[in-house]
Amino acid sequence: MATYAFLLDLARCIGCQACVVACKTGNELPLGTKYITISERTQGTFPNLQGGFQNHRCYHCTDASCVAVCPTGALFKEDGLTRMDRAKCSGCTYCVDACPFGVPVMVDGISTKCDACTAVVKAGGQPWCVKTCPSHALMYGERDQILAEAQARVESIKARYPNAQVYGEKEAGGLGVVVVLPDSPEVVDLPVDPQPKLLVTGWQKAVQPLTLGLTSLSVIVTGIAAVIARRNHMQELKTLHQAETAGSEKAGEE
Amino acid sequence: MSTQVQTAPPRKILRYRVAPRINHAVLATSFILLLITGLILLWSPVSFLAAGGRSGVLHRLGAVLFMLVPILYLIDDRRGAKELLWDSFHYDKDDVAWLKHILQYFMGRTANMPPQGRLNAGQKFHHASVVIVSAFIVVSGLVLWFAKGSLGADGLAMTATVHDISMLILTVLLVGHLYFTFVYKALPGMTTGYIPEEEARLEHSKWVDSLPDEAPYKVNE
Repeated sequence: MATYAFLLDLARCIGCQACVVACKTGNELPLGTKYITISERTQGTFPNLQGGFQNHRCYHCTDASCVAVCPTGALFKEDGLTRMDRAKCSGCTYCVDACPFGVPVMVDGISTKCDACTAVVKAGGQPWCVKTCPSHALMYGERDQILAEAQARVESIKARYPNAQVYGEKEAGGLGVVVVLPDSPEVVDLPVDPQPKLLVTGWQKAVQPLTLGLTSLSVIVTGIAAVIARRNHMQELKTLHQAETAGSEKAGEE
Repeated sequence: MSTQVQTAPPRKILRYRVAPRINHAVLATSFILLLITGLILLWSPVSFLAAGGRSGVLHRLGAVLFMLVPILYLIDDRRGAKELLWDSFHYDKDDVAWLKHILQYFMGRTANMPPQGRLNAGQKFHHASVVIVSAFIVVSGLVLWFAKGSLGADGLAMTATVHDISMLILTVLLVGHLYFTFVYKALPGMTTGYIPEEEARLEHSKWVDSLPDEAPYKVNE
């Protein structure tokens, strides 16, 4: 089954905010809510400045921490992307804490994040941000093709940006947003290693099953033992009654 | 010639006054509510019940009731709470000997167990564990409630792990509690306040001997 991905070329991004506006209007997001935030980042001192546009958005991790911790299945993987069924959200905020990119936010008690324009894409269209990008910094398509395009773009900018690299090929199992980075990830505040945390995996894969398993085991063991133990105790009480009655009869005879 | 047998009328022993029974009812109600609404988040086949946050609201309601229990004890049964805490954390030679034969007690045989006071050593261990683990579950629960969204992945995982394991221990203790209540027919003590003297003597002979031989401690059935 094909998996899909976005290409985000930060060497071409001009920080125009068109994707932010298109996403907000296309998805009819309420006031104060947006799925993409673009901000300028600079490092170093003049004249040796490095900089770029940080694109804060859902990166659709294959090993998505938000999906792993979501107790109700409101967040789920489909076509390689992290989608969301808002009706299932319990408002627990686990996804807000677990996301290595700090993406989901709570709006009216419901987790909110980019769902890769599910309805538009399933109808054969392109995501709003991709459709509107004037500098071709954004693309959407099958992940293999997106990855090949990203690698080609990195090669083509190596002369100008020696540290250029593809970000998202392997990170967190492979991202659904493959990024062409002109420089190291830290320059635009991207985590170098956004893998799901060991403690989160341990909690999900060991602690939770262990908790449910041992609780069930205790119910089964005591359920079986209760029948035997109750019979033993009733027999004990019967013996006690018989001894007391015999004692009273003896006392009566005397 | 047959002899008329005169037997003493059976007596009942006051096991729990009204205040501890109310406190116990609040604790039991809150814990069951917390357990059900908490398990909804853990067990995927029923997790749809959490949608919209309704079970979360009930969980918080249960949490407030649960945390109210120590305050209730302070208001309506301060002396009882003190005794309960003291007893739960102090074990004498008979208690140690009793614990060595706990398997026998588990299987419903208590007649030949070492003599016990108001609480047998198993009940002491149960209460002490409930007090300690409840502290863990309350603190981790408050962190999950009030610091949510700012814990980070490690903070969330650690806090939720403490909360889940505390829940596991308290639930196993509850299962044990219900088990012994069933095996030793102990429910009337908590519903009426009284238990038959012969059964009290079988399990808590030192305590029965220490009680005044008068109402309300010992009454005819």
